[in-house]
Amino acid sequence: MAESTSDLIVIGGGPGGYVAAIRAAQLGLSVTLIERAHLGGICLNWGCIPTKALLRSAEIYRLMGEADSFGLSTGPLGFDLDRIVARSRDVAGRLQAGVRHLLKKNKVTVIEGSARLSGPGQVAVEGKGAFTAPHIILATGARARLLPGFEPDGRFLWSYREALTPDILPKRLVVIGSGAIGIEFASFFAAFGSEVTVVEALDRILPVEDQEISALARTAFERQGIRIHTGAKVVGLTRHESHVEIAAEAGGQSLRLPADRVIVAIGITGNVEEIGLDTTRARVEKGHIVTDSLCRTDQPGLYAIGDVAGPPWLAHKASHEGVLCVEAIAGLTGLHPIDPRHIPGCTYGHPQIASVGLTEAAALAQGHTLRIGRFPFAANGKAIALGEADGLVKTVFDATSGELLGAHIIGPEATEMIQGYAVAGTLEATEAELIATIFPHPTLSEAMHEAVLAAFGRALHI
Amino acid sequence: MSQPPRLFASPLARRLAAAAGIDLATLTGSGPHGRIVKADVEAAKAAPRPAPPVPAAAPAPAPVPQAPGVTAPATGYTDLPLSPMRRTIARRLTEAKATIPHFYLTVDIEMDAVLALREQLNTRLAPDKLSVNDFILRAVALGLRAVPEANAAWAETAIRRFTEIDIAIAVATPEGLITPIVRQADRKGLGELSAEVKALAARARDGGLKPEEYQGGGFTISNLGMYGVREFAAIINPPQACILAVGAADPRPVVKAGALAVATMMSVTLSVDHRTVDGATGARFLAALKGLLEDPLRMML
Ligand SMILES: Cc1cc2nc3c(=O)[nH]c(=O)nc-3n(C[C@H](O)[C@H](O)[C@H](O)COP(=O)(O)OP(=O)(O)OC[C@H]3O[C@@H](n4cnc5c(N)ncnc54)[C@H](O)[C@@H]3O)c2cc1C
Repeated sequence: MAESTSDLIVIGGGPGGYVAAIRAAQLGLSVTLIERAHLGGICLNWGCIPTKALLRSAEIYRLMGEADSFGLSTGPLGFDLDRIVARSRDVAGRLQAGVRHLLKKNKVTVIEGSARLSGPGQVAVEGKGAFTAPHIILATGARARLLPGFEPDGRFLWSYREALTPDILPKRLVVIGSGAIGIEFASFFAAFGSEVTVVEALDRILPVEDQEISALARTAFERQGIRIHTGAKVVGLTRHESHVEIAAEAGGQSLRLPADRVIVAIGITGNVEEIGLDTTRARVEKGHIVTDSLCRTDQPGLYAIGDVAGPPWLAHKASHEGVLCVEAIAGLTGLHPIDPRHIPGCTYGHPQIASVGLTEAAALAQGHTLRIGRFPFAANGKAIALGEADGLVKTVFDATSGELLGAHIIGPEATEMIQGYAVAGTLEATEAELIATIFPHPTLSEAMHEAVLAAFGRALHI
Repeated sequence: MSQPPRLFASPLARRLAAAAGIDLATLTGSGPHGRIVKADVEAAKAAPRPAPPVPAAAPAPAPVPQAPGVTAPATGYTDLPLSPMRRTIARRLTEAKATIPHFYLTVDIEMDAVLALREQLNTRLAPDKLSVNDFILRAVALGLRAVPEANAAWAETAIRRFTEIDIAIAVATPEGLITPIVRQADRKGLGELSAEVKALAARARDGGLKPEEYQGGGFTISNLGMYGVREFAAIINPPQACILAVGAADPRPVVKAGALAVATMMSVTLSVDHRTVDGATGARFLAALKGLLEDPLRMML
């Protein structure tokens, strides 16, 4: 069969792989990208984007319910789950076409098929032949981690895939796992009236977030009627005719949770099998390919980026690694390995939660003396005008250097605003520059300014 | 009136430098467009620089008054508890020095050509400045390519010859010595090596290295030249067979064509595990290294 050669082969067309391919093309490399399912990867087709489309429907529906308080009248409220889902699929489809166009514009050769390493610098794609390149990037992503006994069954037990295209609106929904994905689905289904119960093994929900933010989130979700069990371990599942019952243990107590559907969202595991890693020296640890700070594996010429290369499992981390990896391959100098402290993380439920950098506890554990600033949206004019005055902005500074160590937002547009702190952190701003910055009035972002002022005893509106 | 060139440094870097009494003008920035960032200041803080030259007639510094309240304990000493890292260093080095049959080879290398080339490149490359160490690293990598027998380890039942040229660099941290690894060093240009060493060293000092970033490697370089050390012999980093100890490059009298002249000379000492590498092989490696550093244009290929 034919053998094609390029400067770079990228396996996987998710936000890691397709961005790497575009950047490589910009730098003048000839690139072949191999994708077995759909361009855009999980993010665009079964992750970030379709969830956000669903959550937008939930948000509008919630606002419709609040119309009266804004002096508006609506007819009786209603929704059509099928059309909500259809819109979400449509959004994903449009963006997928966009990625295809971008790759074409950049003259990236796209091969559809399942790729497998077949020797140093060699890749085989069934039915498509052999491909060779001095550099190969693995961007094969990840899939839902299975909970033994709770594997998706096409009926009661859902992974994120089924949850994104639900056959029914479950009357009773149990979500196992309270990371970003679990919380977003809990928020979505609760908005349309499902009785949602979240079961989390650790002692708080959204365990990677600052403790104070986790606690505020819990209160907000419970106020909406979502039931939350933390420190809870699921131990069994009983199947009935038309529902299941989950047995869980929390603090010595046994819980029985009847459910029409169950979403298992306990994390993910890298797609490291069946890609021919055994023909290489690359190492796999805890389900992920081990790489150095420039995304290189132990096999010369072989790189790994994105979800398959380990946490945090975020699309923007995958893309950033793609760019860094390719720039190193192209011999660009002055590159900077990713500092995990500068990777923001977002959860798009209601309320929204976003953060960048260290939590208060992590900063303390690293030996910093801290200055903490807090500013509630209840004291922000724009938030009150919007009718979205719940939530808080919290900043964590090193008391001696004034370094912004971390920032945490729960409340309206948290996910849109966090980039302000990400920019500040990357530029190594101190409190002085943040204080000196003029924030437009009236905006929610003024709460970010005030949270900096508050850390230094200078808040104006509280 | 001419203004001093504008210095680009992040606000945090400025503040940290001021607190540590470091003059930003003495630092090289590793940030975008050569901007001085936190990591550069931290690196400068961790690496005690050689004392500035003392002007001949400088007045003797006034004695520093003892801070009140600081007295030695009655016993006359303090026991510092061992960190896990210190324990590992102690165990590994004792084992290495006690069990490995070390021998040592020293050569003097004329560095004027490297220094001239570096100056030329740096005016062109500014602000991504190259250090002498970057040239040494590149020369060692190419030297190992020429003499692959020196890129080896003692594996008890075999001599392990490495196929990749992965070079460990000894970095002093407050916790002790750590050796981050520059992988496939022979395939990287000076700029890339320089950036990588800078980043690795900065993270080594922050304690931010992942195990895979300091484990393994086939050869180690330890450079104490910046402290003014003329030459020294390093303890082998097992299971590797060789470690290169690099001293300061300084002007020394040399004999050239029968006449006395001055050249910038640098002495390097290779400590070798005789089980794995013989004297003649070690000497061949040093000859290759010397050849490259004395004719550095060959390294640019
Ligand atoms: C429900 C959900 C919501 C999420 N929401 C967010 C969010 O809001 N924000 C965020 O940042 N992240 C979010 N994520 C995570 C995000 O989707 C991932 O971090 C991101 O997709 C990782 O990108 P990637 O390129 O590494 O891998 P992927 O996007 O998984 O892409 C990998 C691609 O490789 C292909 N592939 C695999 N093996 C082969 C092979 N052998 N040959 C050819 N092709 C192959 C796959 O088909 C796939 O298209 C979410 C995830 C889920 C599941």
